[in-house]
Amino acid sequence: MNSQRLLAFGLRFYIAVFFLYLFLPLLVMAAATFNDSRFPTITPWDGTTLRWFGELAADSGMWQALSNSLLVAVGVLCLAVPIGIATALFLNTVSSRAKPFIYALILSPLLTPGVIIGISTLIFWRQFGVSGGIFLTVLGQATFISAYVMLMVMARLQRFDRTMERAALDLGASQWQMFRRILLPYLKPAILSAAVIAFLQSFENYNTTLFVVGYDTTLTVYIASKVRTGLTPAVNALGLILILVTVVLAIAYEVKRRREQAAVAQSGQAMVLAESQEKA
Amino acid sequence: MFRQLSERFGRPVAMAILTLLGMWLMVMVTLPQLQMIDYSFRPNLLPAQLGGPEDVWTLSNYVTLFNNEIHRAIFFKTLWSSVLVTLLTLVVSYPLAYYLAKVATPRQAALCILLLIIPFWINEILRTYSWFIILAFRGPLNEILLALGLIDRPIRFLSGDGGVMVGMVYAYILFMVFPLYNAIESLDDNQIRAARDLGAGNVRTHWRIVIPHAKPGIATGCIMTFMLAAGSYAVPALLGSPGSRWFTQIIYNWFFEGGNWNQGAAYAFLLLVLCIGFMSLVMKFFKVGLGDIAK
Amino acid sequence: MDSNVKLDEVVMRFGDFTAIERTSLEIASGEFFSFLGPSGCGKTTILNMISGFLRPSEGQVWIGGEPMAGVPVNRRPTAMIFQNLALFPLMTVFENIEFGLEVRGVDKRKRREVSERLLALVALEGSGSKLVTELSGGQKQRIAIARALAVEPRVLLLDEPLSALDLKLRQHMRAELKAIQRKTGITFIYITHDQGEALTMSDRVAVMSAGRIQQVADPMTLYRSPRTGFVASFVGENNRLEVKVIDREGERVRLDGGALGSLMGRAGDDVVLANGQAAALYIRPEHLRPLGDGDSGPRLETTIEAVHFEGAWLMLETRLEASGEKLRVQLGSELAKRAAQALEPGRQIDFGFDPEEAVVLPDDGSPMVDEATGEVLEVAPGGNAKVGGEHVPSA
Ligand SMILES: Nc1ncnc2c1ncn2[C@@H]1O[C@H](COP(=O)(O)OP(=O)(O)O)[C@@H](O)[C@H]1O
Ligand SMILES: [Mg+2]
Repeated sequence: MNSQRLLAFGLRFYIAVFFLYLFLPLLVMAAATFNDSRFPTITPWDGTTLRWFGELAADSGMWQALSNSLLVAVGVLCLAVPIGIATALFLNTVSSRAKPFIYALILSPLLTPGVIIGISTLIFWRQFGVSGGIFLTVLGQATFISAYVMLMVMARLQRFDRTMERAALDLGASQWQMFRRILLPYLKPAILSAAVIAFLQSFENYNTTLFVVGYDTTLTVYIASKVRTGLTPAVNALGLILILVTVVLAIAYEVKRRREQAAVAQSGQAMVLAESQEKA
Repeated sequence: MFRQLSERFGRPVAMAILTLLGMWLMVMVTLPQLQMIDYSFRPNLLPAQLGGPEDVWTLSNYVTLFNNEIHRAIFFKTLWSSVLVTLLTLVVSYPLAYYLAKVATPRQAALCILLLIIPFWINEILRTYSWFIILAFRGPLNEILLALGLIDRPIRFLSGDGGVMVGMVYAYILFMVFPLYNAIESLDDNQIRAARDLGAGNVRTHWRIVIPHAKPGIATGCIMTFMLAAGSYAVPALLGSPGSRWFTQIIYNWFFEGGNWNQGAAYAFLLLVLCIGFMSLVMKFFKVGLGDIAK
Repeated sequence: MDSNVKLDEVVMRFGDFTAIERTSLEIASGEFFSFLGPSGCGKTTILNMISGFLRPSEGQVWIGGEPMAGVPVNRRPTAMIFQNLALFPLMTVFENIEFGLEVRGVDKRKRREVSERLLALVALEGSGSKLVTELSGGQKQRIAIARALAVEPRVLLLDEPLSALDLKLRQHMRAELKAIQRKTGITFIYITHDQGEALTMSDRVAVMSAGRIQQVADPMTLYRSPRTGFVASFVGENNRLEVKVIDREGERVRLDGGALGSLMGRAGDDVVLANGQAAALYIRPEHLRPLGDGDSGPRLETTIEAVHFEGAWLMLETRLEASGEKLRVQLGSELAKRAAQALEPGRQIDFGFDPEEAVVLPDDGSPMVDEATGEVLEVAPGGNAKVGGEHVPSA
């Protein structure tokens, strides 16, 4: 029994160390933002300052990169969300002997290194005279982000009760009306989640982007190039802002998801209540 | 296929579905890959020579790699280091995944998962950059070690492969934790209890019950982590030094410094083959299919 | 008969498997018509052919005098209540009920009028703005009915709609469904494996087995004059005795019961019984009467094996002394009181019956029906050919 307890304690200790390992680097980076040192570090501490935020704001290259990143992310959303939905609908509907093969093709971008997706996109479009830039970045990223969207939409679609579809048709709806009024509203939460994830994936992508971005710059490419040349704590300031934005987003997303679960549980309770009144 | 789709959604939607899917699979997934492979088997020619007598299929780009000792060494180093990163990540993740799935209360597990997801949402570059600060020559890690008297002089962490591997484990750990967690979670608690009742020790319970059950998760995690590690550009670029280059960096150089895309395509294709090979091996070893991985 | 739904020589095949054998049938306007049969016998398949989800392999469905070939689901004047109801969970009660009108482009004010009226009809006024996930099982049921009625169908198709409810609610909903059908005058086609539902609500019932309609009749006729062994065993309870026909005089048939001696019965309607033919005599448990020593007529000598007190009646499980077959007997409380001393296991007791109440049918093998589920455990070979005036040839 004692050794069991020791083991349980060991596991807990391990978990604590693990989360320290996960967050300490981010905290160090955040702290370095406020150090009045020419280099991003916390040792030695040369005094506390906010000036790196000012320098960041004055950096026109950063603003350009940020607007490029947003542009790319929007472009990726416009491509990957419809493709992902269409693919999920396809897989959910079609039965054919070719399906395992098509399925493997659909999953392949998830199992291909990002650099290779970037390279093949770059090579493919060269023959049409298209060279690296925003356009190819959108295409390259959408290639694998579409598959992520598909997985998320698929997870919900598989739980869809298809008698709902039949009921709609039976009540006189056309297939299009059924699609618009029944299926899409059902998929909406998954589509929204997928859109959020797709946006973030695009925004933070580096490996694919590096090969297709050409002379344009996205925010991640900008950060990476800053780290290698001309490194100042302004990069930390940017990182800190990005981290805060993502953390807020992540928590909001999670809270929303849990609210929805709670809402489902609540309407279930209302049902039980109605049920018990019925019997009384 | 069109008939099944149009029976369910009507002709316009069916058409849209097939167009989107076909466009994606052809123009974005398949043709670019094929073109890259085709490129890798052609010599690097001037635009004027394209379609001329020298524009034929050749193995010369692959021969180049074979003959270049440095590149060959980097290729194999990338392979071994990625395997090592994968194993390290697996070892680090397993206790955590087990804790989340079987030991923690639902409340604790939910909190831990939220904590795990947050860094996952943060940019890979930033996560790597944070290690760059920690491992710097005058960074906090060296300062602490010096203060503790464990070392006399600061260590250059950022000049070898060690820093790169630490950064990779950090960057990709969640791709291991989540598949593992999902797989272990689906194991019936009673099986663990039964094994304990039958007198199996901790190690034995894990070895005989938990790990075999978690196979698909282990396979998925390993495949994803290896693919990300072998294909990583950001981490070695930030945490490595010129002496510890990664294969992806060689590929990059062929494209944007050497100006030889055909050579780069050959190297890229080899990297792809490496990943596919690793994937097939893992799938065979753990006896799992593609369907298990997509979960 | 003012025919509303007509099945004209309809056959349904799935690959090699024939789910519905050639069937012809007419259902009148305003009729409450049920298909009754064990699960897997093809009831839902018939409903799907009427609603248009399935195209018959052969033959044609007519509704309101119009042929339905080529008319898709969403253009047919039918509405379906699904086994799981299939209410739209993301919509309010109003939106559910008004869905059929909305897709037809009916304007909002008109829609609301209709849904208010239907909510009143199903006694759920004031719950229009609730989400359907907040409703109880019985309430959901009613909303499903209101939603289907909103499109003013000529025919309402109900696929075991009560099977998800608990027993008490189920019985309550039977009366309610029947009342709604009377009030609206719409043809109801109702599917069930529960004979209680079919018999209490329907004007006519079609009993099905293994893709074939065995008999179409009103509930009383079905119970009193089954035409096939399947119907005799599936609808209500029956004792089955194997006999041989000696001769027949009008309805009266003289039978050779083997060890049981000579017996009498009434020939089933329209059945052909040749002298010397193997046949089955069906006697319901409630039609058996205990005989005194002085009583004359055929006499079934039994030993009591078990006695079950059921309140208003007693159910006896007995065994025939001559043949060793089981015989179940139901005695009303009057009779039971009179015979009280003798009714305990091990006692010997003789039973007689009125030949009027005992039906003779050609021996087609008897299906074993699981009482609890209505599941057929062992299916009889081809049943009787003539059904309810319509001709249903056996394969
Ligand atoms: N789409 C189909 N494909 C193949 N067989 C089917 C299909 N639909 C129903 N069946 C078969 O037809 C028979 C009748 O089914 P069904 O009409 O659903 O029975 P019921 O509603 O009486 O329980 C069953 O044996 C069932 O397996
Ligand atoms: Mg059915």
